[in-house]
Amino acid sequence: MRPFSYQRATDPDMAVQALSADAAVDNPLTRATVQPLAGGTTLIDLMKLDVMRPAAIVDINPLAEGWSAIDPGRENLRLGALAKMSDVAAQGEVQRNYPVIANSLKLAASAQLRNMATLGGNVMQRTRCPYFRDVSYENCNKRNPGSGCAAMDGVNRMHAVLGVSDQCIATYPGDFAQALIALDATVEITGRSGTRSMPFAQLHKAPGSTPETETALRSGELISAFVVPGRWPRSVYLKARDRQSYEFALSSAAVALDVQHGAIKDARVALGGVATVPWRSREAEALLKGQTFDDGLAERAAEAAFADAKGRQYNNFKIALGKRVVARALHRAVTMEI
Amino acid sequence: MNAAAPEPKANMGQPVPRYDAVAKVAGRATYGSDMPLDNPAYAFLVTSAIARGRINGFDLDDAKRVRGVIDIITHENAPDLKESKLFSNGGYAGTTIQPLKSADIAHDGEIVAVVIAESYEAAREAANRVKVSYTAATPSASFDSPGTTKAAAKGQNAQFKEDPQVGDFAKAFDEAEVKVDAAYETPTQHHNPMELFSTSCVWMGDDLVIYEPSQYVYGLKNGVAEQLGIDADKVRVVNPYVGGGFGSRGSMTPRTAIIAGIAKRLNRPIKLVPTRDQGFTIATYRAETRHAIKLGANRDGKLVALRHEGVEVSSRADPYCVGGTKTTTRLYACPNVDSLVSIVRADRNTPGFMRSPPEVPYMFALESAMDELAVKLDMDPIELRRVNDTTNEPIGGKPYTSRSLMGCFDEAAKAFGWSQRSAAPKSMSDGDWLIGYGCAATCYPTQMAPSAARVRLQRDGRTRVEIAGHEIGTGAYTVIAQTAAERLGVPLEQVAVFIGDSDLPPGPVAGGSNSTASTCSAVMMVCDQIRQRMFKAMMPRQSLTDKAKETVGIGRTPTMQAAKSDRTLDLERAFDALGVGVIEEYGEWKPEGAPPDSFKAMHSGHARLVGGAAMKDKIAYAFGAEFVEVRVNRFTHEIRAPRLVGAFAAGRIMNPRTARSQLMGGLIWGMSSALLEATEIDQRTARYVNDNLADYLVPVSADVPGVEVILLSEQDDHINPAGAKGLGELANVGTNAAICNAIYHATGQRIRKLPVRLENIEV
Amino acid sequence: MSGNSSSRLSGFDRRAFMACAAGSALVPMTARAGALDAPAPVAQDPALHVEITLRVNGQDKRLSLDPRTTVLDALREHLKLTGSKKGCDHGQCGACTVLIGERRVVSCLTLALAAEGQEITTIEGLATGDQLHPMQQAFIDNDAFQCGYCTPGQIMSAVACVKEGHASSDADIREYMSGNICRCAAYPNIVAAMKQAAPEITKG
Repeated sequence: MRPFSYQRATDPDMAVQALSADAAVDNPLTRATVQPLAGGTTLIDLMKLDVMRPAAIVDINPLAEGWSAIDPGRENLRLGALAKMSDVAAQGEVQRNYPVIANSLKLAASAQLRNMATLGGNVMQRTRCPYFRDVSYENCNKRNPGSGCAAMDGVNRMHAVLGVSDQCIATYPGDFAQALIALDATVEITGRSGTRSMPFAQLHKAPGSTPETETALRSGELISAFVVPGRWPRSVYLKARDRQSYEFALSSAAVALDVQHGAIKDARVALGGVATVPWRSREAEALLKGQTFDDGLAERAAEAAFADAKGRQYNNFKIALGKRVVARALHRAVTMEI
Repeated sequence: MNAAAPEPKANMGQPVPRYDAVAKVAGRATYGSDMPLDNPAYAFLVTSAIARGRINGFDLDDAKRVRGVIDIITHENAPDLKESKLFSNGGYAGTTIQPLKSADIAHDGEIVAVVIAESYEAAREAANRVKVSYTAATPSASFDSPGTTKAAAKGQNAQFKEDPQVGDFAKAFDEAEVKVDAAYETPTQHHNPMELFSTSCVWMGDDLVIYEPSQYVYGLKNGVAEQLGIDADKVRVVNPYVGGGFGSRGSMTPRTAIIAGIAKRLNRPIKLVPTRDQGFTIATYRAETRHAIKLGANRDGKLVALRHEGVEVSSRADPYCVGGTKTTTRLYACPNVDSLVSIVRADRNTPGFMRSPPEVPYMFALESAMDELAVKLDMDPIELRRVNDTTNEPIGGKPYTSRSLMGCFDEAAKAFGWSQRSAAPKSMSDGDWLIGYGCAATCYPTQMAPSAARVRLQRDGRTRVEIAGHEIGTGAYTVIAQTAAERLGVPLEQVAVFIGDSDLPPGPVAGGSNSTASTCSAVMMVCDQIRQRMFKAMMPRQSLTDKAKETVGIGRTPTMQAAKSDRTLDLERAFDALGVGVIEEYGEWKPEGAPPDSFKAMHSGHARLVGGAAMKDKIAYAFGAEFVEVRVNRFTHEIRAPRLVGAFAAGRIMNPRTARSQLMGGLIWGMSSALLEATEIDQRTARYVNDNLADYLVPVSADVPGVEVILLSEQDDHINPAGAKGLGELANVGTNAAICNAIYHATGQRIRKLPVRLENIEV
Repeated sequence: MSGNSSSRLSGFDRRAFMACAAGSALVPMTARAGALDAPAPVAQDPALHVEITLRVNGQDKRLSLDPRTTVLDALREHLKLTGSKKGCDHGQCGACTVLIGERRVVSCLTLALAAEGQEITTIEGLATGDQLHPMQQAFIDNDAFQCGYCTPGQIMSAVACVKEGHASSDADIREYMSGNICRCAAYPNIVAAMKQAAPEITKG
């Protein structure tokens, strides 16, 4: 861990000003010399590994008073970015009206980490690619742009099959983001020029030729809230993994359905553990909309979701697994009691 | 009584709570890195990024500029250390690859530099800033890599003495009515004890104190002394509590002498707490293995031919091997047996003992093959074991001292509900889950080693027992205290036990599951010396009756049961008769068949284990039967093991509480080995990739809903005075095969490679 | 394959270092308006320790720390409270679990600086004098440990788990205790211990 200066932000203005000091730095994630500290479960972890080397840390936890509300309104659900994962997972209305959100949070990490981690930090968590996390591997395009990718022909069982490029196959490891992207959430971003909003789907950037750029956040910007439109009581988060708990997904599906009179009026499908970014499958959704559910439909939708998947030596199984997980999640969503 | 404290059956001690329980729940148990040091400097390791090649040079400028850095040690300025031979070849070391000796790199993660600084934070930062330039050569990672060499184990590893054979295997197999011919594989695994591989070294003049989690303080003391070139009496190793061992701390690793040497040079206590990932390469591990099994049987299930060929990976430098054929060729009655163990050398750190080193991989192969044979015979797998059960091992015809294998099968089958099993594969399910039942035999050799003990008795009954044993979670404090209390007839609360310190009388390595049998036999013997002194003082003219001989331990070493019959020795009178304030006795015990140099070896830190299959006219093993229910999800193919049931017989059970816990942990270890644990090796670079507890999966609470342990009553008077068979490594053996056998039952799919992952299932 | 490569722990971010070298040492700012005027990307000189007060087990502890010190290392190396254990140092094992306020957290990923002003409870603060906490006694009664290294973290986690209301069923306990790895695998006994202690804790 490199030395850093530490300061606590007392208000958002102070935070963004402190964070803007490295505005000239092109990549806010890997190279930023100032980093916000919320739960710390990613930042301190990666600083100990020498992967992240901020020279200054701005502790934004004091902003929690204004930025951690869980606000289930009539039209939408507003979640403050500094709300703790555990608090949101336990909130009654979130559990009732957005089970996909509650369960994506509950099935992530451990009770201790969920007590620490915030929603904003959670969506910003970095990949678990072992070659990214170990600085002794020079070949990591995400960490050292242009250096190559050690995972491509290495131990890549946990790696992505969707959204991959010839530069990077690192999996986006989170769960909650799948729920957000499925439900068409908006992310509120606070920066020097005030607050802006963007669709959550635009927050993360697929690796393409610049895997070092992971999000659309600009230097000095902070996520302040997420807004989820509507209510989705018929929604499911299904997560497949080797271990029963406290493990990242091999494959997961966030599914939300609006079923009326036996027909699927609206359908949302997002995939985790298999893609480089939070992954929404509009192909699967298109197949489902307006149809009457049966297992064959679920399988066709799952097939569509993985039509463009590219497996490698050890992760090829994720394509078949991912399809089965999607189909099963759809089945669960259709049959769940609400 | 609750489930944790089973009612003792015949030949079992009381399930008293652990001696160290309060210290452990209060956070007062002091592990190696908890020891307070006066003004310590902190060490941080820099480890190699290549598995084979040479260091061209270092750029230490940035690192040295870090405030608080005291020194950076590389091969260019490292303390001069002497070499130590491999543990299994008569030395102390777990590896003969000595880092910081030269510019050569022999494996991934070899120590290439040690940074010493005023704080942990500064040491870590400076280590991050050390730049090493290498010339890398292409390494051989494992079995299939180009550049490996393969040779028979016999002749290169002193501990591997024979490839057991009897009869004419080839002919018998050729003529057998029913055959199984299958290949099995087990993965690389790391112990991952919870406590890190820490070392603190403190010099006081020429005397060195080492605080380090060790399973063999005498071995470490003598090994470090040898490397430093100083008298062993100048070295003391202290570790009253060890945060898990599982074999990883039985032999000396290079880090200890390195840290000791640097501490001497800097004249400052040094504390090293390596990272979790460094633990994967600076200590040992269970190497991957391959097996070819051939079984031939008659239609009635009787084995007529058995061949087990095993191949294991080791380092270029060391011929380490586990050689489990000594067990698998002797487990069942079979007139024609053949076997061969070979070692493949790769560019890896040297493997070492990990909980049931030979039995886990070799019994997985055999017990899987037995299940395959049962399927071919259309026979219940329990009945197949019954048909081939034996009182004498087939290679030399030696009798088992006791063998409750089928008793274990019957008890465990009943508790598990085996009779509810519908035999056909894929015939049981529950909603989304396919259900499979499977079982396997488990066994572990009964081993003993020489051990000394000192016991001091005061006239108020307070007793102090001293022995350089080890508390690695096994309950060593507890069973030693119980043994002394019972033997001297003093209340358990009056007994104080001191272990984990090489200044105490030498004890054995806490390995090979010998500790309880060895240390308790030694404690019994020394307690008897005290009783003898008291008896003589109280009845000086009385010739000893047979009854007295039995109760005071003269003439022969009585069993624990005999001691129980007389606990009314009047201490006050005995002390008055002796005219002393304190009675203190020291004694050295050695097991039957121990070599003549046993006590010499004991004092110089060389473990001399005897027992198991290596005894002259008998063979001693503990047995068990393990049953599992697996559930395979039809959709995700996730595999879970909601029920593990094991029945075990291991001679005298000193404490049913600690025994049950250890066996329970073992069952879960076996499940973990079968379904979760594998160290992934990058085949291009021969480097461990998932070297942390998020990626190297061990079970969490949610993985183990139901575990049941059944302790069978068994008495064995032919093994050691304590009558105990080791059980710490008994329970994690059979589970591996039992899981795969259950997966076959659930899915119809036979999986012969561990760990079984969801991608291996094709439902 | 030949050529230079960095060591496992090497790697050098020139920009970060330049920023560090170029700036002068900055005393860490704690919630002062004036902080905004200071140039931000300036490294704290690690030799310049910061003075903080941690409130541990009901007592204020004045400490001079490297800003990089975690709560775990502050407890273990500076306050000699070695009950909390280091098993992974990356939030992967739970051996370092302590309570901050009412919440269980992993102290290895919590900066001591960030914990200033909050109530930290460790295993050493659980008992009342010689009277063990009901969870500690339940761990003894149910033999809920072997080597004991993960035990302080398990107990702190278990106490919080009960208070969170996540100990109402065996399945709940197992799921919500899965952040604490026990390599000896005492899990079934830990579940039994929590079931024993839970009524006493919720009652009290």
